[in-house]
Amino acid sequence: MPSEPVPSEPVPSEPVPSEPVPSEPVPSEPVPSEPLPSDAVPSGAAPSQPLSSGSLSPGPRPPARRSFLRGMAGGVAGGVLAGGAAGAAAGYAYHGDPQNPAADADETAIVGRLPAVPFHGRYQAGILPQPQRATAVVSFDVTAADRAALTDLFQTVTDRARFLTSGGTPPPAGIGGPPTDSGVLGPTVVPDGLTVTFGVGSTLFDDRYGLASLRPAHLVPMTSFPNDDLDPAQSGGDLILQLSAGNADTVIHALRDIAKSTRGGMQANWRIDGFASPARPAGTVPRNLLGFMDGIANPSVTSAASMDSLVWVQRGAAGEPAWTAGGSYLVVRLIRMFVEFWDRVDVFEQETMIGRRRDTGFPLDGASLDATPDYAADPTGEVVPLTAHIRLANPRTPSTANSRLLRRAWNYDRGLDQVGDLDMGLVFTCYQQDIGRQFETVQRRLLDEPLVDYISPFGGGYFLALPGVTGPSDYYGRALLF
Amino acid sequence: MSAAPSLADIRDESAPMLCAVRTRRLFAAAAVGAAFVTSVAACSSGSGQPSNVITVSSNQCGGQWRLSGPGWHTFEINNQSTGGGEVDLIDPANGAVYDEIENIGPGTSTPMALDVGSGRYAFLCLFDDFNPLKGATVTVPGHAAGAQAILPITYNDVIPLAKKYQAYTEAGLKLLARETGTLAADVRSGHLAAAKRDWLTAHLRYETLGAAYGAFGNFDDEIDGRADAVGVNSPKWTGFYRLEYGLWHGQAATELTPVASTLSRDVDALLASWPSQEIPLIDIGLRAHEIMENALEFQLTGHDDYGSGTTLATTLANIAGDRELLSLLHPLLAPRYPGLPAVYSGLNLLQSLLEKQHRQNGPWVPVSALTVSTRQAIDAACGQLAQELAPIASIAEPRNTANAF
Repeated sequence: MPSEPVPSEPVPSEPVPSEPVPSEPVPSEPVPSEPLPSDAVPSGAAPSQPLSSGSLSPGPRPPARRSFLRGMAGGVAGGVLAGGAAGAAAGYAYHGDPQNPAADADETAIVGRLPAVPFHGRYQAGILPQPQRATAVVSFDVTAADRAALTDLFQTVTDRARFLTSGGTPPPAGIGGPPTDSGVLGPTVVPDGLTVTFGVGSTLFDDRYGLASLRPAHLVPMTSFPNDDLDPAQSGGDLILQLSAGNADTVIHALRDIAKSTRGGMQANWRIDGFASPARPAGTVPRNLLGFMDGIANPSVTSAASMDSLVWVQRGAAGEPAWTAGGSYLVVRLIRMFVEFWDRVDVFEQETMIGRRRDTGFPLDGASLDATPDYAADPTGEVVPLTAHIRLANPRTPSTANSRLLRRAWNYDRGLDQVGDLDMGLVFTCYQQDIGRQFETVQRRLLDEPLVDYISPFGGGYFLALPGVTGPSDYYGRALLF
Repeated sequence: MSAAPSLADIRDESAPMLCAVRTRRLFAAAAVGAAFVTSVAACSSGSGQPSNVITVSSNQCGGQWRLSGPGWHTFEINNQSTGGGEVDLIDPANGAVYDEIENIGPGTSTPMALDVGSGRYAFLCLFDDFNPLKGATVTVPGHAAGAQAILPITYNDVIPLAKKYQAYTEAGLKLLARETGTLAADVRSGHLAAAKRDWLTAHLRYETLGAAYGAFGNFDDEIDGRADAVGVNSPKWTGFYRLEYGLWHGQAATELTPVASTLSRDVDALLASWPSQEIPLIDIGLRAHEIMENALEFQLTGHDDYGSGTTLATTLANIAGDRELLSLLHPLLAPRYPGLPAVYSGLNLLQSLLEKQHRQNGPWVPVSALTVSTRQAIDAACGQLAQELAPIASIAEPRNTANAF
């Protein structure tokens, strides 16, 4: 790699053969050994500092190749810890106003320059942020032979997540085997805002690993509601892994990395990929595939009081084993949308079902996106019908305040159904501290809402997103497994 | 929805106002290559600007507003009252509706976009607890084409149709009750081959009754519910599909006897309750496309095939039910919906494609056994039919505005 400043000319398409390293000083690559500054170098501009001349050096601490299959003990992976130890932040948002993603964040995401999200913290970092552009939700069943192997599995997932979210250069493989990295992100792994959210399902607490007495108080198999059409092959699972980042290649890279590192220990059950759209128009809220803005009325993620009363499992909560504190119950619902049918319904009927204007996202009785619907002034539903989705989901009364939840939804689009209609819909996820008090209560209010004819929940599950990994020596589920 | 106002109740906000409109012919001529230039000239009176904001309330319905010439125009309807209401843009001569905002909240603004053609325009405001209020009339002269106003259908138009449909359904339910009685006797006596035949007869009857979209409420769940939420082994699962699953999965007559008896009893109960059931008037128009939406989603996908492989026959039964609805609606639709001929040709096409899949004196071809090209032809025909049927829901919706004229 040249020691001169990176040229601004186009990169040659072929490496120069006489050089020992690829002559691809792509300007947008981060300096491997340093955390990415949040004001990352704009795409196409030369960095102000020359890149490291030690071109064969993978960085100061290459991530050790922790092999789950070989059962190597110890071996905490290295990798750079972007953001240093400042992992105590209660979540990470790309946007000053977490309810309104800024346009520049979108642009940053497109070129893969989102900064690293600090991995270490009291809570997992992927829970509070606005939906990132790309996500994958994958359920696994554990195949590890025993409790020790299960612990090893969780440590491996931790190590890989720590490296992948921080970025860095994977170690060279030498002649001893295939490359250590898929190469999907090029020679240096960029963080691209990757978050890894890892959770456990109720089936992990059966008799296989001696965990039955430690089952989280509210963790049960997902309820099948009257309008559900749940496919067992796309429901439940011992573990849930959600990977979100600014770009789909970052997500895929992370999934391949974690999967290859854990082959013997867990087996994928079902998977769905999702995307979050940019806000259209800019400054509003991203839309789902029904054309409506989604997730406008979430509780404030910047309010610790709100998060402590709605999202995070509290230490000493009734019936909760101590290890769950700092976790959060995750409900995943895979919801098909019959978009052809929906597109054949006039917009007033659509708006009446949702309770908001399609174009603006305003509530039917409101004059702004964040207007609070005044249901007391509309007791018979003349303006916002009593069966409108937003009215049933959040009646905005004191007695329903503690059933609010943190809604995080992505769109999915995966081909066609049996009659050639588009198979697309919503990867709905939400976080809460009590599934019965929150998601299920909301879901019961929504029973038989008019919208049910246009959607079909077909999969998902109930999980507990584990407490955060607090530092380099911590790992996912340590308080559960040690 | 509030009760329909009567003619005597309507209020006039002002005397009709004629707005002289200039068209920008010079500009149009100068715009090389422009196929169409929207005129933005305004009324000769006032500031000369077209009215973008239309203020409405319980005692004001647009005031003295203006319209530029023909072309695409977006009004911002601003409700300054303390209550919700409905705002329509109508042809004041006959009450035909150009556009509507069915529920506009107090203190809110909502855009109304319209391709304005030559004609007469007035706003009509319908606020809760107030008589309808008609605003000033604005005329756009000339012969420019624009969005067509649709003569609203009244509740009085629809009531006799609903009564006829109710009678059609009752006659069908009587036949159905006899058929499910026969079916229950077949099962009870262990004649399962006869039961399979009679199951199909009865189920197809049921599927012609508009039941395709839950018109029977909770009865529909009991009589024609899917296993989706409960699973095929659940004792909570009852009805035609439960019986189909048992008959075509080798379950014994003794096991199925209570299933068939319950079905027969539920149909009897539905029949007994039917005279007291009221079909919501808005449903008449909605069902026309919803029946085919459901056929596409549940029958042509094979989702509702619990073993008999007869979902194509079910789709044909749904077509028959839809034809019944359309024959009732025809006098209302014919003058209002230019796409109606395409609806009928679409029904005919789909029907003929489906009928080819019935082997003479033999079984129906299950959707899973169709060739790719046949299945594509059927799915395409059904999808297109749903497209053609969709506008009927809006056109046939009874409107409050209608009785004001």
